[in-house]
Amino acid sequence: MTYSSEQILDLVKEALAELFRLDPARVTLEAHLADDLGIDSIDAVDLLYRVERLTGLKIGAEDFRGVRTVGDLVEAIARLPQAER
Amino acid sequence: MDAYYWRLFATGLAFTIFGAGGLVLGAIVLPAQRLLPGDALRRRARARRTVQLGMRTFVDLMRMLGLLTYELHGFERLGRDGQLIIANHPSLIDVVFLLAFVPGASCVVKSALWKNPVTRSGALGAAYVSNAPTEAMVMGAVEALRSGQSVIIFPEGTRTTPGRPMQLRRGAAAIALQGARALTPVFIRCTPATLSKNEPWYRIPRRRVRVSLHVGPDIDLAPFRASGPAPFASRALNEHLLGVFCAELGFDVFE
Repeated sequence: MTYSSEQILDLVKEALAELFRLDPARVTLEAHLADDLGIDSIDAVDLLYRVERLTGLKIGAEDFRGVRTVGDLVEAIARLPQAER
Repeated sequence: MDAYYWRLFATGLAFTIFGAGGLVLGAIVLPAQRLLPGDALRRRARARRTVQLGMRTFVDLMRMLGLLTYELHGFERLGRDGQLIIANHPSLIDVVFLLAFVPGASCVVKSALWKNPVTRSGALGAAYVSNAPTEAMVMGAVEALRSGQSVIIFPEGTRTTPGRPMQLRRGAAAIALQGARALTPVFIRCTPATLSKNEPWYRIPRRRVRVSLHVGPDIDLAPFRASGPAPFASRALNEHLLGVFCAELGFDVFE
């Protein structure tokens, strides 16, 4: 299957709730990962691994370059090749 | 004074030889090796062996010049598949010792090494892991561990600042939890302090340096992995590691 942006946002919300016990209501597309949600770059890697686990997609550090907000992250994940699913 | 003027001269000589040797390896030997046939794994192994041999030679040279004495304990337990090796970092020469005596290992090193043409060939050839950006460092080290390599990292991120409490960045703990099959500490003591942060090479200690490297028992990762979500577990592990290093080293990291 391929993921729509809405599905990816839901996955990200799920991962953030699991990993950081973050209220999904705070996870909006505009939310800044570091400033608004308190996620540093090491936390971000845990988040990427969790999303990998949930989706089966392979995410590389280079895909994460320039990601600042939840919206950036959703876009970066949406851009990944989804063929292997 | 323990042959002060000789050691001052020999320190300058050692730095010169290190620079010249680095230049020969980095500008000639390693680039030439990259042209030899073999797949990526063989090339990497070759480059790592060359770096190891260079470091080993340099350690022997420093010892023969009377600059230092050293002792190693438990090194037969280093270099296992998927082993993350974490060490404290009192001095510039720590990395020289670890690269010299842990065959085949990868190492997390400064990203600046990729920018300098001489060190670049070594960093690229040996496929070491750059410490920046942080995401790439963590993921690169995790991947190396998962592929069965052993990886050396200095979790302080930089040399210990003498007289200041030890601090560990969380990267090593996160890497361990995501990728390591074993996590093994190495306790490095360097007395008197030398080549620590912000110290010029010519400010040599009054006595010949004694370097000791003790491999500690493996740290069990299972309880941390079971303790909760990764971000919480890595914070807990990091606290634990700080306790392990402080308990072992106490205040004699710098005498």
